[in-house]
Amino acid sequence: MSDHKERLEESLSALMDGEATEMETHRLLKAVAEDPQLRDQWKRYHMASSTIKGDPAITAIDYSAAISAAIDEEPQHRISRLAVFAGSAGRFAIAASVALIAVFGVQQLNSPLDTVSPVSEFAGVETPAANSGPAIQFPSGFQPTINARTVSVGGNNKSSQRAVPALEVNQQIQQQAKKQYSEAELRAYLNNIMSKHSSHAALNSNQGMLPFARLSEVESKTGSKAASQNTGEVSSEKE
Amino acid sequence: MVATSSLKTVFKAIKQAALVAAVLLHGPVFSAPMESAHDLMARMAKASRELSYSGVFTYEYRGNLTSVKLIHQVREGKIYERLLHMDGTQRDVVSRTDSVDCVRTGDMLLRGNAYKINNENYARLQDFYEFHIKGDGRIANRQVAMVHVLPKDKYRYGYVVAIDKESGLLLQSVLMSHAGKPLERFQFVDVSIGESSADIDLQLQGGEFGTVDQTNCLQVDRKIDAPKSMWSIDWLPPGFVLASHQSPDTEGQEAMMYTDGLAVFSVFIDSVQGSMLPPIDAKLGATVAVLTKADINGHQYAICVVGEIPRGTASQVASAISLAP
Repeated sequence: MSDHKERLEESLSALMDGEATEMETHRLLKAVAEDPQLRDQWKRYHMASSTIKGDPAITAIDYSAAISAAIDEEPQHRISRLAVFAGSAGRFAIAASVALIAVFGVQQLNSPLDTVSPVSEFAGVETPAANSGPAIQFPSGFQPTINARTVSVGGNNKSSQRAVPALEVNQQIQQQAKKQYSEAELRAYLNNIMSKHSSHAALNSNQGMLPFARLSEVESKTGSKAASQNTGEVSSEKE
Repeated sequence: MVATSSLKTVFKAIKQAALVAAVLLHGPVFSAPMESAHDLMARMAKASRELSYSGVFTYEYRGNLTSVKLIHQVREGKIYERLLHMDGTQRDVVSRTDSVDCVRTGDMLLRGNAYKINNENYARLQDFYEFHIKGDGRIANRQVAMVHVLPKDKYRYGYVVAIDKESGLLLQSVLMSHAGKPLERFQFVDVSIGESSADIDLQLQGGEFGTVDQTNCLQVDRKIDAPKSMWSIDWLPPGFVLASHQSPDTEGQEAMMYTDGLAVFSVFIDSVQGSMLPPIDAKLGATVAVLTKADINGHQYAICVVGEIPRGTASQVASAISLAP
């Protein structure tokens, strides 16, 4: 049980990193539907990330039930017989592609060290393909840890991604935001520790000063002051 | 009939010859004359500190690319470094100086020295990573040896590094996820090596050189003393050792840094700002930041783990921090 749970948490973490396999994603979606604890964990991740990316914080409110209900009420999302058929066809397609991946995977596993190195890929590009949700802005280089497309938790109804009643949610968010810590403060704090960490890492990671380059995107209006204060033991001077 | 059997013999002979040839061709990879991956890594650890060089490198993650100019000069036993971001908002030149002789925990580990954790236990890099030389390449118009560094467990990431054959300088370093995807990449575009490569005072008009903290320099077979802290860490990913510790500052922030020789993570514990901060689980490029909160005797503390490590490792470390008994 705990082993299984640990595996699920690993999968969740992989999903957040955009590294989950299709199989893992499906297993996870199924488990999340049944396990409120896992669901809560996922929710926490989302909350943290929306804070960081600059959205006003969403705390204790769980919109998912309301959203699901709203989707169900919309006629075009009601599950028709056709949809059921399409659904199973979709499942078949997924199964087929998983099988394909399995074949590929095995082929690659045969000689993991001899395959062409993937290093020449662009580092960590993740394109949420065909994600029709709102575009996410990362003002100061912070990335939320979650992919936008992981938002739909509830079920296998793919169209649920599109049906978020944005207006209603926004109003509630704004009321919530007043009770929260200041987002700017949070960002400044993150910038500060990131800067300290890089400064430490530049002494201990054997990459020389390379870790300082990581700071490049961290700077923001509130952050620049914090970042320059604390290059730690390093004194720096404005040009 | 005779013809087929002689044909078979010929095939057999060819097969055997091919096998012998394959063994001979691959032989040198494993034999002594070639520099081993460990030697290369050790040479790299020394070169990046002890050589003078300058150049431009790029840093890339998630489709973002920045370029950075770097000057590293060694004069009279001291290292002088300047670093300038070449794009984006105009920002400070980072200038610092350090003693060449100061060997820190990370250097010690990468140089292949066993690092003494306590009287019974040693941390050694090769216990936690596998090193494979993957042939030659060319970076910044220089011949490099490509080395794949694979983690032996899930607590750390792997790397693909390119090491300059002549000087031992690290010219490329790519952090690889467990799924084998690049998470971030440092790569020199242009580099010149040697004393005359750049006049550090003229090239970047930075200010004074700040001297970096010399308290964490190590003697052979020494380690950083465990901090006198109210906190204790009950679990560390295997191989990670304390590299520096900073007692609570005026803002009530205590910091500890750990390394396994390649990966680095920092732990920050805030007592003043702790009550204000929310739990965080964020990613900054390849760096994760996991902030958890601890409520101790009605006082809220924020415990934040930051580093280029998998999220799972970071949260495990964060949850292993408790009040020292």
